[in-house]
Amino acid sequence: MDENRPGYYGRPIVKPPVWTPLIPVYFWAGGWSGASATLALSARCLKRDRAARSLTLAAAVGTAISGFCLIADLKKPERFLHMFRVLKPSSPMSIGVYLFTIFGAASTAAAASEITGIARPFGRFAETIAGVTGPMMSVYTSVLIGDTVMPAWHRAGTALPVLFAATSASTAGGLGMCTIPAADAKPARRLAFLGALGVPIALERLRHQLGPVQFEAYERGKAGQLSHLARLCNLTGLLCTLFAKRNERIARFAGVMLLAAGLAERFAVYHAGKISAEDPAFTIAAESP
Amino acid sequence: MIEPMAPDRRGFFTDTTLCIGCKACEVACKEWNQLPQDGYTFTGMSYDNTGELSGSTWRHVAFVEQFDNSQSRWLMESDVCKHCTHAGCLDVCPTGAIVRTEFGTVVIQDDVCNGCGYCVVACPFGVISERVEAKPQEHRTHPRGTMGKCTLCYDRLQIGEQPACAKACPTESIQYGHVDELRERAQRRLEKVRETYDGARLYLENEHDGIGGGGSLFLLLDRPEIYGLPPNPVVPTKSLPQLWRAAAFAAGFLAAAAALASL
Repeated sequence: MDENRPGYYGRPIVKPPVWTPLIPVYFWAGGWSGASATLALSARCLKRDRAARSLTLAAAVGTAISGFCLIADLKKPERFLHMFRVLKPSSPMSIGVYLFTIFGAASTAAAASEITGIARPFGRFAETIAGVTGPMMSVYTSVLIGDTVMPAWHRAGTALPVLFAATSASTAGGLGMCTIPAADAKPARRLAFLGALGVPIALERLRHQLGPVQFEAYERGKAGQLSHLARLCNLTGLLCTLFAKRNERIARFAGVMLLAAGLAERFAVYHAGKISAEDPAFTIAAESP
Repeated sequence: MIEPMAPDRRGFFTDTTLCIGCKACEVACKEWNQLPQDGYTFTGMSYDNTGELSGSTWRHVAFVEQFDNSQSRWLMESDVCKHCTHAGCLDVCPTGAIVRTEFGTVVIQDDVCNGCGYCVVACPFGVISERVEAKPQEHRTHPRGTMGKCTLCYDRLQIGEQPACAKACPTESIQYGHVDELRERAQRRLEKVRETYDGARLYLENEHDGIGGGGSLFLLLDRPEIYGLPPNPVVPTKSLPQLWRAAAFAAGFLAAAAALASL
């Protein structure tokens, strides 16, 4: 037997996900969609109607992208309906489907009312529902992947929600900076700033929780490249956000950078999970005393 | 999550000391369950050209070659779904396609499965993956879009028959029976084998391990990872309360950040 290959001829002990890249795209879109809805609600409460309008529309666009990704990943659309046969507390995906359904219906109704002007009070009510469920919509996907046997996800289970919350904030803020005129975009700039500032803190926590052996999954191959790209984009976005108040172009550039950082980060997490499954050394190290 | 276990629980005891690596179990399983062949792949690693358990390979004979300067040995082990007491796949399945049967086994209902793939990443043993379907007229297989794994021959059990693999095994390396009885048998066998092999051990016989013990037990001659088995499998849903708590905190932070940003 080859001593250099751990375990059984170096073959994986656990199976890597069969999820297509649509799933990390969903994690990303669902993240900013939820955070946009929450920011829309708080902006509305403080009479920042111009910002609230754009953010509510952004939440609905995020819902549409999310729904498409979730359903397309199953290959046959009608299969999605099987999800509604049961409600299972032991399955984060089951909980997530109902959460997404409530959030998605609310954010879509809110946006429809905002555009058409029909049934305004109902639209505001829907906006409230979307805003309240928004934060959970942004972070529940971290529980979904934490509840697996991929060492890079499971071992980072309680650090991932912080990372997902931070990137959701930075991407929602980034999108807001792209779509709201600078004069009204203060909430978006601030959320983007707080989120982008939180990302390196969340990553540090993740690294600490995983330890050097398991964190290697985030530094190897595609996961490593995407992590670096995400870090670079996030830093650029963060710095540009500071100068976004007076310059629309800088604001838009900062927004795009933060959105790209968020997407790269989700893909980095996705690939880290895959890498940690494909090399049995991660599984063996995780389970050895 | 804790769900009631069938009083009359059935399972396997795979005694690897008796396995001769003939792969009759693999063939019998494929035949009975009408699973397509794995193709003529040559792994180049020992006599194992099957490679792993998958959606359409429900028995897999691992073939370990250990060469030392003074001596060498072959270890053979017929691997299968563990039908865990606390089954990760069953916990996370969002459609209810995966069920616990009256025999205490874990079965995927193919007509309910929607192919979400969550069970694949929730199994500590890497047992489950996407099923493929044979297309004889096209000389190829194509993905079925649903997940597959050992059913412990649920259909055969219902008519009082034993699973196809156990029936086909020529050395009784694969033994089928009531799990309580198999545990005792495994313990007795271990004591006997220990007289000759120091490294002999039982695997998944302990009800207090991370999966609450397996419905499939094994007698191994080396560490589990040598056979491609996880050394200390734990059902991932065990940490679900901590995960949700962390998510609730993070969501709270996000909401607070949004409120702060709007001031």
